[in-house]
Amino acid sequence: MNSAMRCLAAGLACVLLAACGGRSSVVLVPDPDGHVGSAEVSTAGGKQVLAKSGDMTKVAGGDAPPSAVSTAGADYLARTFGEALAIEPPPPEKFTLYFETGTTTLTAESARAVAAIVAASHRRRAIGIAVSGHTDTAGSIALNERLARERAEFVRQLLVGQGAEFRRMAVSSHGKGNPAVPTADGVAEPRNRRVEVILH
Amino acid sequence: MKTLACGLLLLALHGPALAADEGIGHIQTLQGSVWIERGGQRLPVAPGTEVRRGDLIRTGMPGAVGIVLSDHSSVSLGSGSELAMETYDFDPREGRFALVMRMVRGSFAYLSGLIGKLSPESIRLKVPDATIAVRGTKLLVEIPE
Repeated sequence: MNSAMRCLAAGLACVLLAACGGRSSVVLVPDPDGHVGSAEVSTAGGKQVLAKSGDMTKVAGGDAPPSAVSTAGADYLARTFGEALAIEPPPPEKFTLYFETGTTTLTAESARAVAAIVAASHRRRAIGIAVSGHTDTAGSIALNERLARERAEFVRQLLVGQGAEFRRMAVSSHGKGNPAVPTADGVAEPRNRRVEVILH
Repeated sequence: MKTLACGLLLLALHGPALAADEGIGHIQTLQGSVWIERGGQRLPVAPGTEVRRGDLIRTGMPGAVGIVLSDHSSVSLGSGSELAMETYDFDPREGRFALVMRMVRGSFAYLSGLIGKLSPESIRLKVPDATIAVRGTKLLVEIPE
């Protein structure tokens, strides 16, 4: 598309937005675990909080506050969001692997779990695999970090070596920033010294 | 506000790719007509295609796509939709979190991920004339034409 056409397309989109007043709708729904969070919708004119399943508000311009909260009907949801909901990525599968203290040697149980991860990657025809190393808050950060990275890299090699199915694999270290069990600083917590493998 | 939205839309269509170009997620599912606009180019997509900061993700008629970001959040789009990945940072090690998506038009399902768990105040979904602060977890957004 050339520059003039892009300008035209952008201008047309603006005309359409203006013509329809941009009546956006925002609906809070349960997540796959059944949990309902909350959301706050703000315009220059005010705000509304969505707090219950099915809570909906509409935005009809920047100067007006979002509409009073109503309940979205099942018909509206199915008609409007059927396509987006049908194409939603399936829920990921998460596996947690543990190691012998201070080493990149998997515990016996976690060593057996690797085959289950590989099998799951084939069963679901995994697109993305994320491997993340995690530490607890005790000891030297530099040392913990290095170990977490080495463990994550070791798991990557195992998955590749055993023929896991994927199109993208990302290896990272979350350090102590994403604990399984939140603790104060300086606490040795074996459940936090782990590698997580998440299949999408 | 309409002028501002138009200006941003023009920026999104014309602006150069943002400096950082590392992947922030990938295309997980798709059907029909789906493409990414990046740096003025229209790129084809497939399952596993990388999504980058600054990308504009679009669907035709019909077209639908599901995207997974590296914090394991997801967003899916129905036909005739347009989504700009404006800001993204997911670095638990350094405690850096940011997620700003602009929903320009269409239908969307958004499910928050680790940024929502570790730093929910870092998430902003922008729609025409409004901003949504998400404190978890799943939202549906319709922006009719």
